[in-house]
Amino acid sequence: MARTQTASPKPYYQIVREVLSANVAKGNLPVGTRLLISAVADRLGVSRPPVKRALELLAEDGVVTPLSSQGYVVGEPEANDNPARTNLHSLALDLPPELGANLGQASWERIFEAVEADIMNCIPFGTFQISEAGIGDYFNVSRTVVRDVLSRLDARGLIAKDRSSHWLVGPFSARMLDDAHEVRRMIEPGALVAAMPYVDPALLTGARKRVGAGLAQSKSLSQAAIEAIEQDLHVECLRALRNKRLAQAIRLNQISLVINRLFGAYIGRHDEADMLREHALVFDHLILADAEGASVALRHHLDADHARTRARLKVLSVFDAARIAPYLIRIH
Amino acid sequence: MSKPIKLRVIARSEVLPRPVLEQAAADLPFDIEFELIDSVKGLQRVVTSPETFDVYHQWHTVDLIWTARAIQAIDLRRIENSQLIRNHVLARQGDSRAFGSLFNQLFVQPSGALGATPGNQIVMLPLLHGVDAFGFLPQALKEWPEGTPHSWGWLLDPRLAGRVAIMSDPVLGMIEAALAVEGSENASFANVGNLSIEEIDTVVDILLHKKKLGHFKTIWSNYRDAARSMQRGAILQSMFSPAIAVLRAQGIPVICAVPQEGYRGWHVDLCISSAAEGERLDAAYAYLNWWMNGKGGAVTTRQGYYFVIPDLVRPHLSVAEWDYWYAGKPAEAVLTNPLGEPSVMPGEVREGGSYFERMSRVRVWNAFMDEHTYLVRRWREFLEA
Repeated sequence: MARTQTASPKPYYQIVREVLSANVAKGNLPVGTRLLISAVADRLGVSRPPVKRALELLAEDGVVTPLSSQGYVVGEPEANDNPARTNLHSLALDLPPELGANLGQASWERIFEAVEADIMNCIPFGTFQISEAGIGDYFNVSRTVVRDVLSRLDARGLIAKDRSSHWLVGPFSARMLDDAHEVRRMIEPGALVAAMPYVDPALLTGARKRVGAGLAQSKSLSQAAIEAIEQDLHVECLRALRNKRLAQAIRLNQISLVINRLFGAYIGRHDEADMLREHALVFDHLILADAEGASVALRHHLDADHARTRARLKVLSVFDAARIAPYLIRIH
Repeated sequence: MSKPIKLRVIARSEVLPRPVLEQAAADLPFDIEFELIDSVKGLQRVVTSPETFDVYHQWHTVDLIWTARAIQAIDLRRIENSQLIRNHVLARQGDSRAFGSLFNQLFVQPSGALGATPGNQIVMLPLLHGVDAFGFLPQALKEWPEGTPHSWGWLLDPRLAGRVAIMSDPVLGMIEAALAVEGSENASFANVGNLSIEEIDTVVDILLHKKKLGHFKTIWSNYRDAARSMQRGAILQSMFSPAIAVLRAQGIPVICAVPQEGYRGWHVDLCISSAAEGERLDAAYAYLNWWMNGKGGAVTTRQGYYFVIPDLVRPHLSVAEWDYWYAGKPAEAVLTNPLGEPSVMPGEVREGGSYFERMSRVRVWNAFMDEHTYLVRRWREFLEA
């Protein structure tokens, strides 16, 4: 939830199209290579519809040529004569991270975090209806994937259905913040202790240094610097955690990071000295490998931060004009 | 040579009737630009753009604007008569319900938090306060047996269906609606000034139902709308006291209720923008000190507002005015509203009595509730239903 960027709205077929086109240009996919839709989908680790669409467009561009059967071949029509039945897995292709990272992910996972972030960004500002078709168009995914994502968001308590079966986001309440805080103060200090032996010492010293630098100019820190400092403690340190179930439970309850970020974005006036001093305390204990001290210091920080976040939520409550994703429709 | 400065002041229209604007402009050696904003836009501006104003007449929002760092602490040593304010705070600490909200978050503590322990730094200069209740026309009383005590529950009473108006402001509107639900629906809330989400749901669900039944004739947003609403057929409604002054000057015999459940208390105070410095800051202090001479407070007394230190406005009021507005005595003469129009006839007594009688009957103070984020969305649902 601490994520600041939504996923690139670039549709999947577009990514596939660019990947194939670039690899043809570089010669990684030689002229005459036969490209069956299913084989390309398997090689890239994506589903078939975006591959089909990408190949159609590449054919229009003249990069590939349709075969009489169910595939294409790299190059101009004259290359058609004797297409090479190459096993695509034997070719070294340049794949962008957005494809590589998704290998082995279920379809819903690719857009889940983006939808979740969009919802968190609007939640303090009103009650919104979610357009299922809108999500499908925006991310270029099927209805099935959209439903999968929404039912998972439902299970996490972020959205709910109204009486007429529309998915709704909000209204947000101070109690949701209280509840999330209550869970977080119980589990996040323990998780930090559990992660401590595995945290890279360079991360700790680097993070401590960033906090120190922040303290020297606590009244004029940029929003990005504040977010980086929050990420160090609440995301990066916990990345070492082996218990992924625990990691997920924590992430789910880090709502205050979102509220503080929105406050920074909409109100933008901070003296973050208190937050920085609290972070410094936690890191000092971590650097000394004092698990108990780190845990107590983190709990103190979470409590103090909760009080600040609650006050900030109240300020946000007088605003409407959130920058909201196009598939969210304000109703109140 | 630098340009002569112009002090920029933001307030709601109720707080600054025309004679106050004119008097301040005449007395102070610099130009003043008053911006009267009655909607939430005023607060949004203050919170996001402190560089666009110098002084803000805040209204139950001081904790929000302090959180947003849109205002700076006021140095009491630069305020005339500040010893009176300090003494007043100490003297009123016992009257925690009557004056609680006014003074318990006044001082900036060394930690930067707001609290009651006196120091030299205050977050706002307390200025005006008072109590509100609903108002009604004499014919509304026909619906109840003679002598029935006034109750907030009347706002939701089916006997008045279609002839009731309430206000659109979510903060005040929700407090009054909660008082009305308590008075009419056998409900009871732990703290009317800080409802839980379940309690907010209870109140809004009742309001939505009533709205669909056509119970509310109008929903008004400032005192002029409120006065118009009553001119156009509402016989019982939420009220701001300047609207009472307007209606009475037009000969409409509106009565200000003395609800058995108590009043809704409010205060309006002066805050200085966090961006004000140098000459602008000096001008802001000059404006604050102008208010401390009591002339402005005397004008707003004539629409029913109390000044933080009543003794400072007394020299600027006639004996008859003081006796009617503060002492709760029958008017000895015709009294005028801020615009000089007759609004109180000889022999009339102010509903609720004297300053101390009225202020001691505060049930709840205007405040942004902890669940305001939730409240404001449900309230909007009601307004849009």
